[in-house]
Amino acid sequence: MTDSPDKTAAPALTVQMNPMLRFVASPAGRALIALALVILLGVIFHADGAFFKIGTHRDALRQASVFGILACGMTLVIITGGIDLAVGSVLALAAVVFATFTIHWGWTAWLAVPLVVLLGASCGAISGSLTAWFRIQPFIATLAMMVFARGLAKIASGGMKVSTAVPNDDGTYSYIPVPGVFRLIDSRVGDVLESWCGAFSEYLLSRIGGWFGDGLAWVFDAVEWIYVNCGIAFVCANVSVVTVIFLFCVALAWLLLARHRWGRQLYAIGGNEEAARLSGVPVRRAKIMAYAAAGLLAGVAGICQAAQEQQGDPEAGMAYELSAIAIVVIGGTNLMGGRGGIGLTLIGTLTIGYLEKVLSINAVPEASRLMLTGVIIVLAVLTQKRRR
Amino acid sequence: MPTESEQNVPPLVQMTGITKRFGHVTVLHEVSFDVRAGEVHVLAGENGAGKSTLIKILAGVHSDFEGAIEIEGKPVRPASPLEANALGVAVIHQELSLVPSMSVADNIFLGRSVTHGGFVSDRVQRDASRDLMARFGINVDVDQLVEDLPIATQQLIEIAKALSHEAKIIVMDEPTSALSAPEVEKLFGLIAQLKERGCGIVYISHKMEEIERIADRITVLRDGRFVGCDDASALPVRKIINWMVGRDIEQQFPRHTPGLGSERLRIEDFTVPGEGRHARPVVDGASLHVRAGEIVSLAGLQGSGASELLWGIFGARGRNDSGRVLLDGAPLAIRSPHHAISNGIALLTNDRKATGLVLSMSVIANAVMADLPRLSPLGLRSPAREMLAADRTAERLNLRAASLQMEVNELSGGNQQKVALAKWMQTEPKLLLLDEPTRGIDVGAKREVYQLMNDWTARGIAILMITSELPELLAMSDRIVVMHRGRITAHYTREEATADAIMEAAMGRQMETMSA
Amino acid sequence: MHGARSIVRFAFTIGMFFTLAGCCESEEKTPQAAPAGGQTSAAPKEVYTIGMSQCNLGEPWRVQMNKDVELAAEKHPNLEVVFKDAQNDTLKQRAHVEEFVSAGVDLLIISPKEAQPLTEPVAKAFQAGIPVIVLDRAVLGDQFTCFIGADNTKIGRAAGEWIAEQLGGAGRVVELKGLMTSIPGQDRHSGFREGIEGTDIEVIFEADMKWLESNARKEMESALARYDDIDMVYAHNDPGAHGAYLAAKAADRHEDIMFVGIDALPHEGIAYVIQDILDATFQYPTGGAEAIDVALRIFAGEEVPKHIVLGSRLFTKDNVADGGVAIE
Repeated sequence: MTDSPDKTAAPALTVQMNPMLRFVASPAGRALIALALVILLGVIFHADGAFFKIGTHRDALRQASVFGILACGMTLVIITGGIDLAVGSVLALAAVVFATFTIHWGWTAWLAVPLVVLLGASCGAISGSLTAWFRIQPFIATLAMMVFARGLAKIASGGMKVSTAVPNDDGTYSYIPVPGVFRLIDSRVGDVLESWCGAFSEYLLSRIGGWFGDGLAWVFDAVEWIYVNCGIAFVCANVSVVTVIFLFCVALAWLLLARHRWGRQLYAIGGNEEAARLSGVPVRRAKIMAYAAAGLLAGVAGICQAAQEQQGDPEAGMAYELSAIAIVVIGGTNLMGGRGGIGLTLIGTLTIGYLEKVLSINAVPEASRLMLTGVIIVLAVLTQKRRR
Repeated sequence: MPTESEQNVPPLVQMTGITKRFGHVTVLHEVSFDVRAGEVHVLAGENGAGKSTLIKILAGVHSDFEGAIEIEGKPVRPASPLEANALGVAVIHQELSLVPSMSVADNIFLGRSVTHGGFVSDRVQRDASRDLMARFGINVDVDQLVEDLPIATQQLIEIAKALSHEAKIIVMDEPTSALSAPEVEKLFGLIAQLKERGCGIVYISHKMEEIERIADRITVLRDGRFVGCDDASALPVRKIINWMVGRDIEQQFPRHTPGLGSERLRIEDFTVPGEGRHARPVVDGASLHVRAGEIVSLAGLQGSGASELLWGIFGARGRNDSGRVLLDGAPLAIRSPHHAISNGIALLTNDRKATGLVLSMSVIANAVMADLPRLSPLGLRSPAREMLAADRTAERLNLRAASLQMEVNELSGGNQQKVALAKWMQTEPKLLLLDEPTRGIDVGAKREVYQLMNDWTARGIAILMITSELPELLAMSDRIVVMHRGRITAHYTREEATADAIMEAAMGRQMETMSA
Repeated sequence: MHGARSIVRFAFTIGMFFTLAGCCESEEKTPQAAPAGGQTSAAPKEVYTIGMSQCNLGEPWRVQMNKDVELAAEKHPNLEVVFKDAQNDTLKQRAHVEEFVSAGVDLLIISPKEAQPLTEPVAKAFQAGIPVIVLDRAVLGDQFTCFIGADNTKIGRAAGEWIAEQLGGAGRVVELKGLMTSIPGQDRHSGFREGIEGTDIEVIFEADMKWLESNARKEMESALARYDDIDMVYAHNDPGAHGAYLAAKAADRHEDIMFVGIDALPHEGIAYVIQDILDATFQYPTGGAEAIDVALRIFAGEEVPKHIVLGSRLFTKDNVADGGVAIE
């Protein structure tokens, strides 16, 4: 801070404001208010106490996760001033290909997951290149990718869901078990943690004997006691693996956007592309990477979707791009680019997720649900209109 | 401010005791202002003094203010720009308000189309527009799209459009910022016509020569308060500046030439191709050199190609293989701005809002934007290090921001310009390309920029600068290179340069070509 | 083995993309030397060309319908079927019908997207002397040769009765509805309500899942959160029932609940019954094979009934190996 005597240079918005008020006026504050209102709605219409059950919240978070993963990628693209309409279709393509790899071909997840994620990233990189190199508007380029990826998903799956019922050449079907990776992704953190740690500790104890082995066994018991008695087990038993994947994506996207040079470049491009270019920002590369990241996350979302449905559905993810955009906007990220953040998108994901849950547990009919969602999106965005 | 008018006719506009608040901040304190028929009343003051707010109140943009407005003696309170228009107030804004993708005629009739049964009658509009253009001596086809016209022509069309409303009170907010000298003359001719017709003109400008030339009366605002109002003939320049900044400026242009170093930049036979349909190169075989510690200025009128030359050197118009570019004696083919920056070149563009700053980002983010590769070598940024770097640069430039975290669009023009400069100082350049470094900033800030330029050259930085203000050009340059239609037409040292000679070189060749 | 097939499919995918780059509709075979003009079935011909206009191939059930037609036709070397997919576009389907008429196919099978707009093109084909078999969804009037379809209300009623029987006349049921703005959804709902009428079966939770598995899972999770005691889930399609099963399994309550779906496609409902995921599924027959049977009878000059209502079959764990049992 320069200590300048000339206070008149300080502009209108730096007036002394109550910190509480200032928080409420900030985008994050407004987004949190919207979330709080939705949760309040749940508390009022609790559907015979269903809203207060831990399972309801676990499910709400799990159901919002796929949308949240898409929204993280969408945030990166929207901050550059673009839009990615292809994420829903890329999700379907990823789900179909992942199911084909793991169910039909029996590939290990260590191979299938990276390949599918790479496939999603390539789809994004293609639409990104179309906008960056050929100057096709993002709306058009990603619309083309949306249609193309959907077609590819249908052809790759033969128009049928890729499930554990595998068609034979003579028109009959063979039935094979659900791959382990599907079960793993669609389980709770506690289950995974307990089975993995249990197997690991048993393996160690079987190899190490003597007083050291006894000591180790004591340590393991102590860890287990803490795990069980300090609430960790309870928390882990009520967090889905998909939610953890979502939170991991949030953390990664936050790190890149808020703490990496590339993230700063995305804001600059969205705020003023020409100024960014003249400041040495590699505009094309940064943009392509944003779309590639959105595609990559759509690939991750596709894997999660396939695991939760235990199949690869070429019709999956229909209109998910619109939900993702809604989440980003409700969070408070500016559709024109240059302003926003992943934290806001996290809040937006929770808002939409809880809204859907509240409507669902109250068994609100579909037609009213659509209307209510529309009204609430408008209300949420209205509360976020920038001052001035 | 009560007028000491002997006549009994009320002034065209009388604004009394105007106070305007944004939230808790009062931007205008009890300001009074009046305009008489047939006069040019200059409204002067530093950026952020409240001029624009006062004008916006008159134009109906801000309707929640305290105080009173009378137009021809009748109390009014325009609640919208449309209402103000109906009261005879026309405002020509600094930013163009034309629709680029529409024709000239359509723009002129925008919002008040001549219709027959709901259908726009193009013929009537075109004829009326043609008349209007002829009246103001604008040579333009009214069917052309506005975006295809030069900025200066667009500005004239904007003025013509405002005047076509038969307004009595015409507000011009820096109308000449995009105009070349002959176009400015045309505008001044127009203003004289309007005065004869009995219109009152409110004129906002930062250019002292303009103020001296056309002002009948001058009102100065400072920090949202009325400072003084007097006839122009009774106000020497020193007094106006004194009113504006609240202190005397001893010496406006303090150029101290340091000892010159070795040759920093040399370009030989440098050509920049034109864009699109205009196949003519915008810079045609230019050769010049700049030494370390030297300020070389490029002078030229609209279309001289000076800006394009700077962009070309900076690699902002793609890779350039024409001629030869030597940086510190070594040949260099700049590929991109990124490449130029890593070679120690910086370009301050002439439009900080469009090409200089990312207004939605913080001061820090803007200040370190061009230097991100050095500040975050491994990709991961360190906010603390960026804060420190921005803080140091901001202090050196005497940047006045309440917080470095605030968005740049909340700063005043002069401070925004400092942020743009800070961005380039942060990269520690060897060669600074400055395109209109003092455009649209107030006198105090200008002086600070000159001081900074002296400091930088003293540290061995070479400066290649463009300025359209003659006094600045003459006082701050060690050498002056004049360009006309893409070619270099004259070289002067500071000692031999005169305003007449420069103008002649900038325009003279044009006459030759026309007669040839 | 599956790997090899899928690799071929992927290669095919790429090839398809380039060959189809220009044309939107997929045409699997081109008619060979189609005879000019419409004709009656008077003289037996060497090869009969059948035009099959499908309203969309987005639903697995319709893919299955085409597959059934194809499998049935393959058994008769004198039949050649040309498939067209209207991609859920009424006007496109209309154009397809007109193309078939001008190409002079010997018989037209159509599964129309909507009744009203397709009535006239179908009538024109019929008047041009081309026999028309309408599958699954009807057209208006009587300008067609034969309508083959199943009865959703009947299937819904059968499901309701079966559920009442399984629960001994009393129990708590969750109904996961298809799209309630669609006719099949409405019929499967109203039939079910007829089936459980007069019993003590109580529908405690009902929600639209828009035929989608992921939605069904969400809605079921809400039902599970709200009610601790659920006996049965009735879903309007098998993926819906499967989604409900996955929700119950995640809550470890799948053992206490029975799951019933509709459609019984080999790779969906029947597979789920075999895998012990669903307790029952009711077939919604595609009529593909029946259409080819009727076509052959028409070519042979036989009289065919104007309306054929297909029967449904019930598949449970006990009878799935034997191909299910027919229901009345």
